[in-house]
Amino acid sequence: MSGPVQKIRDFVSRKHKGKRERARENLLARVKRGETVLEAKGITKRFPAVVANDHIDFNIKAGEIHAVLGENGAGKTTLMNIFYGLLKPDEGEIYVRGKRVDFKSPLDAIELGIGMVHQHRKLVPAHTVLENIILGHPETKRIIDVKKAEAEVKKLCEKYGFKLDLNARVWQLSAAEKQMVEIVKALYRGAKLLILDEPTSVLTPIETEKLMMSLKAMAKDELALIPFITHKLPIVLKVSDRVTVLRRGKVVARLRTKDATMRGLARSMVGRDVAFKVKKVKAKKGRQIIEVKDLSALSDKGVLALRGVSFSVCEGEIFGIAGIAGNGQHELAETLMGLRKAERGKVTFEGKDITNSSILERWKMGIAYIPPERIEVGTVGDFSLVDNVALNYYFEPEFSRRGILDYKKIRERAGKAISEFDVVCPNVDCEAKNLSGGNLQKLILARIIPRRPRLLIANLPTHGLDVGATEFVCDRLMELKKDMRGIVFISEDLDEIMAMSDRIAPIYEGKFVDIVPAEKAKKESIGAMMAGVHLKR
Amino acid sequence: MKGMWIKLKKRLKLERRFVLTGRDAVKISIFSIIATFVIFSILLILEGVNPLEAYKEIFSFAFDPKFGLGLTIRRGMLLLFATLAFILPLRAGIWNIGTEGQFYLGTVGAFGVAYALSGLPSGALIPLMLIASALCGAGFGAILGYLKGKLNVNEIVLAIMLNNIAYWLIHFLIVGGPWMGTAESVSKPLPVSARAPMIWEVPFTIFLVLAISVLLYFLLTKFKIGYQIRTLGRNPAAAKYAGMSPLKISLFVMTVGGAIAGLAAYHLWAGDPGFYMIPKPQSYQQQGQFMYYGVICGLICVLNPLAAIPTAIFISGMTVGSGTALISRLGLGFGIDFALLGILFLTFVAFQFFHQYRIVRAKKTRTG
Repeated sequence: MSGPVQKIRDFVSRKHKGKRERARENLLARVKRGETVLEAKGITKRFPAVVANDHIDFNIKAGEIHAVLGENGAGKTTLMNIFYGLLKPDEGEIYVRGKRVDFKSPLDAIELGIGMVHQHRKLVPAHTVLENIILGHPETKRIIDVKKAEAEVKKLCEKYGFKLDLNARVWQLSAAEKQMVEIVKALYRGAKLLILDEPTSVLTPIETEKLMMSLKAMAKDELALIPFITHKLPIVLKVSDRVTVLRRGKVVARLRTKDATMRGLARSMVGRDVAFKVKKVKAKKGRQIIEVKDLSALSDKGVLALRGVSFSVCEGEIFGIAGIAGNGQHELAETLMGLRKAERGKVTFEGKDITNSSILERWKMGIAYIPPERIEVGTVGDFSLVDNVALNYYFEPEFSRRGILDYKKIRERAGKAISEFDVVCPNVDCEAKNLSGGNLQKLILARIIPRRPRLLIANLPTHGLDVGATEFVCDRLMELKKDMRGIVFISEDLDEIMAMSDRIAPIYEGKFVDIVPAEKAKKESIGAMMAGVHLKR
Repeated sequence: MKGMWIKLKKRLKLERRFVLTGRDAVKISIFSIIATFVIFSILLILEGVNPLEAYKEIFSFAFDPKFGLGLTIRRGMLLLFATLAFILPLRAGIWNIGTEGQFYLGTVGAFGVAYALSGLPSGALIPLMLIASALCGAGFGAILGYLKGKLNVNEIVLAIMLNNIAYWLIHFLIVGGPWMGTAESVSKPLPVSARAPMIWEVPFTIFLVLAISVLLYFLLTKFKIGYQIRTLGRNPAAAKYAGMSPLKISLFVMTVGGAIAGLAAYHLWAGDPGFYMIPKPQSYQQQGQFMYYGVICGLICVLNPLAAIPTAIFISGMTVGSGTALISRLGLGFGIDFALLGILFLTFVAFQFFHQYRIVRAKKTRTG
């Protein structure tokens, strides 16, 4: 019997068989320590105008942490998406336990035992942690055995040291906890090879420490781990077994971590020597630019997040605010820029009370703000780079006449900004959404710094940037300082704060614990103050 | 057949577009029209009509000066008013579903002035009517703009409720009200001096709406306010960060959009029938509902005020041609004209996919 009916039957039965077979196919279920789990040969992926991966060879063994390093836009994420089945390579082969595989979708990769934790978390905020973890698991059918699942998930958490409240809603969690949920979710689905995209970028130093302990515990259990990291090289040296460094889509170094040095890794990543120390320039302290008195503000949830902060910044000074995310520094920055209403207190800019001034007035006065949310706030994804640069210039009389924008001038400014700040893009007309995170940050700096603002509020300006770009940003800020501009510098990175600032204010639960001149600041005491402990001598 | 498909799949692949040029957009629109005709042919064949003949009938009726061209352009311009009134607010991220209500309010303004000052000569009365209809529409739109900008209400729900109020206001004025004409559902005729001067079969307001198209285009691409509108539409958080005022921008777009929708009222009533007809409330062809075509037309022309001109004329031609040619001339069932429009709109929307992606020939790339 042939004909369409038979064909449909064939198709259906094949599909069913395939599904049943696939369910047993977790190739990685019983790997032995040291066995090569995944091998890639000659992976090449081209995008219009750029070769993201250029003949990359890569392998990873069970029980190993194999860090992949590279600058922003070096092709790490592309490579990982290929391993996870999100992208198809143009060339090259992937072997899982020696068996050639061809992923059609992430589902194929998941079934083989590959898991991935994304940089941008993909969870359902309104569901509980447990619900998120068991969501999409093959064993959760129409009826969910919640008790059994809960017990299993709990066991997993205990084993690897994840402290999670399984009944909390995901929207209540911190960034670090959300990441744990993602990891546990992948493990619960049976992942034996776990890919982590920038796992440390949203974590505070203490959280990072904890995550690394968990990763080590997982590696002991024959799990293979691939963290992708752009910055924070010390972490790489601490936990990984092997390192592969990518630059512009090519493998430039492949070595055991034992043999690696920080300087060497940085050199291969960036392609030149990187000075890890920012050269602190000396600038004469000038007049006071901004004075803040007893400033308070609400968070988005309506809680008093900033609770009475007072300080002042002078010309030629970098005022560093050190704090773990969520302690009110973000609200402080937004209130200074006018993005958030002050509940109480007073802000005086060059002798003028600006507490209730509009955002536009502040831009015009010479206050500038670098937001940490590059995609959501700092840029317009659908706009060309020219239009994005115009965001900080459209209101200047110089760039418009009788209501008509002078696009010739804006285009010139955009072109200059892009070449000066080395933004990697095909041309100024390409849309901003095609740029990587680091490049977006460069674009934002490139349009703000040439404004020569009197006061710059830099909120996490180096967050998620690679070593080269970080150095670049810090140098630009130092230049501004030399130019007698005032800078409020907000960072979670203690080393960076220490290196950059003239005075340091550790912030804890919406209040400055102290304001310490940089000469007298000690890393330990500042770190303790960030955690709310004030050690008075 | 299957082999060919596989071969084709190997040869061609989808690629993300990074820049959409104007020429590409036009090409995509033309392809989607062709696709519509291909799909609709199936329906025609099922009905036992030769598709080629049917299309010839549609076009020859809609675009023949002796038959439907006058109506096509007249209705096309009405549609263009509706489209522009929809496009501008949406560029700022606001869905102006209230064009219907703004149109009714424009009607109230124009008729009110005409009845009150019927003694004035045309030269004075017509500009006054235009101003009144624009102001009334603008005021009605401004309510939406203010509430959206200040309190961030859902503009769609609010607009639908406002539309209802506007419709029943007209109903109140005409059916048994002060403006009632000879029949219950017909208004008093407009004074002759209020009638729009016609150029051939088209009211002079065609120049007005074409000028508005061009103005809006430059407003959006070259002007500071246009830049602010686009920023708010694409990323409200970035607009706020850059110091733009959402309230001012929404108020601006909704006021201007409302004014354009209000002007459409003068174009329709003073141009064509010269009096207001209230169809039965439950009837689907309430005059103001034609304004909703502007939503679809605006989406099809990708919110570009210049592209709106040919799009509006084409869609108007389809409504004019399909109704007459398919139903009256070929004797097809009632509703087939709406089927054509439905397929047209759906295909247009489906083809928007190609604004993001394009099909390219897969390159054989060598290693090395």
